[in-house]
Amino acid sequence: MSSRTPNTDDIVRPMQSTAKWYYVVFGAASILALVWFGLWSIQLSRGLAVTNLADWGSAGGVTWGLYIGAFIWWVGIAHGGIILSAAVRLFGMKRYLPVARLAELLTIGALSMAGFYIVIHVGRPDRIVTSVVQAYPVTVHQSPLVWDVTVITMYMVMTLTYLGLTIRYDLARLRDDLPNILEPVYKVATIGYSEAEDEVIERIVWWLALGVIVMAPLLLHGGVIPWLFALLPSMPGWQGAIQGPQFLTIALTSAIAGVIILALALRRAYDWHHILTDDVIRGLTLWLGLFSLLFLWLQLQQVITGVYAAPLDQRSFAAAKVTNPYYQFAIGVVLLSLAYIFAQAVKAHLFSPMRSLAASLLVLAGTLTEKILFVFEGLEYPTFDMYYNTPGHYFPSPIEIGSLVGTIALCTLFFLVIVKVVPVIELHAIEELRGEGHSHVEGDD
Amino acid sequence: MSRDDDSCSNDSCGCGNNDNTEDESFHPMGADHESEMREMLDDTEYDTDLGMDMAEDAMKLIQGEISEAEFHDKYNEAVVNEFDVDDRPTVDAFEEMKASENDDEHDGIFERLTGDEGLVEQLKNVDADTSQSRRDTMKKMGAGAAALGLGGVASAQSSGDPKDDEYGAEPVGDTSASGTQLGMVIDLNRCDGCLECVTGCIQENQTSTGANWMYVLTYEDEKSDQENFLVRPCQHCTNAPCEKVCPVRARHTRDKDGIVLTNYEICIGCRYCQVACPYGVNYFQWGEPDVPYDDLPGSENDYEELKQMPDEDRHEQLVDSNDHIHDDRGQWADMRPPQGVMGKCTYCPSRQDGHQGEEKQGTVACMEACDAAGMSAIHFGDINDPESRPRQYLKQRAEQEFERDTELDNGEQWGDTVTPWAKLSAFKLLEDLGTQPNVTYLGNEPGPEAEQIDGPVTYEQIGVEDNRKHHLDQFTFGAGDD
Repeated sequence: MSSRTPNTDDIVRPMQSTAKWYYVVFGAASILALVWFGLWSIQLSRGLAVTNLADWGSAGGVTWGLYIGAFIWWVGIAHGGIILSAAVRLFGMKRYLPVARLAELLTIGALSMAGFYIVIHVGRPDRIVTSVVQAYPVTVHQSPLVWDVTVITMYMVMTLTYLGLTIRYDLARLRDDLPNILEPVYKVATIGYSEAEDEVIERIVWWLALGVIVMAPLLLHGGVIPWLFALLPSMPGWQGAIQGPQFLTIALTSAIAGVIILALALRRAYDWHHILTDDVIRGLTLWLGLFSLLFLWLQLQQVITGVYAAPLDQRSFAAAKVTNPYYQFAIGVVLLSLAYIFAQAVKAHLFSPMRSLAASLLVLAGTLTEKILFVFEGLEYPTFDMYYNTPGHYFPSPIEIGSLVGTIALCTLFFLVIVKVVPVIELHAIEELRGEGHSHVEGDD
Repeated sequence: MSRDDDSCSNDSCGCGNNDNTEDESFHPMGADHESEMREMLDDTEYDTDLGMDMAEDAMKLIQGEISEAEFHDKYNEAVVNEFDVDDRPTVDAFEEMKASENDDEHDGIFERLTGDEGLVEQLKNVDADTSQSRRDTMKKMGAGAAALGLGGVASAQSSGDPKDDEYGAEPVGDTSASGTQLGMVIDLNRCDGCLECVTGCIQENQTSTGANWMYVLTYEDEKSDQENFLVRPCQHCTNAPCEKVCPVRARHTRDKDGIVLTNYEICIGCRYCQVACPYGVNYFQWGEPDVPYDDLPGSENDYEELKQMPDEDRHEQLVDSNDHIHDDRGQWADMRPPQGVMGKCTYCPSRQDGHQGEEKQGTVACMEACDAAGMSAIHFGDINDPESRPRQYLKQRAEQEFERDTELDNGEQWGDTVTPWAKLSAFKLLEDLGTQPNVTYLGNEPGPEAEQIDGPVTYEQIGVEDNRKHHLDQFTFGAGDD
């Protein structure tokens, strides 16, 4: 590919010029987001009756569906993103430094969408803040949903701190190339900056990264989020110890797919082929393969233990799961992606950025489908399954499907705005690529 | 304990039952063993003579020469002096004796409820000393063996459950628990599937179409052709999973009487309670309720004002206005929930608090409807109170079953302090999930293959929507009337 040498002009280019495509994408995303807000306002006035959700039990429906499925999907992308970025810093994986900030930004965008989904999902969004806060000292000890809220908030704070600290270095040095209109923002962001802090900041960030990596399996997407489901003994499709590892691998799979898509889109848009190189994309593709394999492995474990000689309630759940065409779709597309990833690993000429993009899109579609299925199939096959209306039927309503389009549009808008505000490629990454790298990324090694 | 293999050879059940005593010792295992025991007691810091005297009398207890209460009474003071506490296994009998000394009346609810004085008197007059049943002896052996230090015998005879009187444990209630726990005993053998309780509940609570807080499943099981019923209100679990997961404490147990309620004022409608409940008793208010708020009795009472009032004034106002939606704490937790909030069977708190008049206190709408239909399958009340309707009903049924059984059976006699609980076919729904439900069922427990079928009276016949999803589908945006 290109043998150009990356320089600082490259990373400030998005802030200096605006191409036609930008307006087109911005306009389209805005329209989709507005349509979604319109649909949501209908839901707010008529209640959740406008969805296809219903009560489980005698009433023949499921009470959680796409909203919760999409919620855990977005949280997964968010958690995977920050884990990726933390790993880059913690383990000195300099090769991936150009995508580190993209992963962090993806975390912020995705986490915001996850939080938004909680608001969309509940029957009385007007009460969320008051009700949750007044009961928090008690409920934090017992309600997995409150643990979730806590963790999402904590992750948001950690990621913003992380970004806020690392961006000072870049802003201080690139100030002259940044848009004047945002001067107050940069002033606040770099308040009190001196070069002497660089080393300290690197060290703080290293510890933050360590915190993220340690907490990821123990508390975050390997813990609290799956516990929302895994701790309930009455829903055999949810209960059990495998959910922790399963959620974490799906999170990482989705996040890497998300980062690949972002990286390819931005390198096309801003001609960053010499920064977000094929080498980086190829490496990310291999990581995507590894986590897809883990995802399929854990699915296999659940299916085999479910269909062989499991207790009756688990057996009927597992049978329903493997015969569901949507489940077959989810597993099928991940398998297909995996086949490509293996093939390009063996025969390098099979690699192409477009194929990796397609594999990433398929994987994201697969994980989203699996998440939504996981939520509503868990509820459709409860332990107490005597009701003749159970299992009932559920297919997301137009408003529910609209929420997916709406949140993806909002997340796109978030990126369109952020590329105009801060450099989405770290200055450190450019320095590394130019061979000026000093040991920043490795912290204290 | 060192065992003398000669004296109890081929006797796997322990040594207490061995009456091959050839020496003067009170101990069934002989004088050698007795002196061994004395030495063992000498090594402890406690009074040896007291131990030996108790052991001797314990043997008399086993033989039925003295009663448990007498045994307990005789050493109570000495034991308390020595150990500060006397919680020997005979303490229940002792306390019962004390209580009956204080209260010689025998006109309990049970007699009034059953009208069957004969059975009660008959059971009371059985003289434990003269006509001791085999099982009674076994039980006393347990108590005696504990005093003798024959731990093996004691544990083989007693499950350790204070309610377990060797005839099965009483299936409900915890008399040791202080306070009220409202609950139900539902006799499925009496249910004929008329669904009167279902309509009674809907009328009482004005729930929206398909929100059948009280629900009756007719089901068939693989192994029988019989038509079975399962009456399913909320189980008002003591360890309620719905309450545990609630992120805002809207779902809670009321201290006063242990019923599980939803505070409609703070519920955010996340539906986690519905997800966590193993029984499927929750019904969310997906859209505008069928009955407007203003039509609910008590809607004129302002929540904030009620909160500020002194308890007595609030009670008075709620009674005066026949308030049906607030409980005595002024909390909006009764009748159908507002839009976006979770609802479920409440055990009619405004009735319990006397807002519907005194005559409705201690009743629930479903039980009233069931009684009115002549079925009396539902028995609601304080399950911690042995005199309550559900507890008395259980006792009555246990004794009926016993009488029926003994006519066919072996002429076994009945003791005066025990109830033949084991004769009851009682169960709690999904009890192994650890929810500690407060509804006890009598009758067949549905097996893993049980499947709901249409009942003798269908929901359609009584004009009640059974599959709420069908009803809700018309409101789905893009698929209904839009």
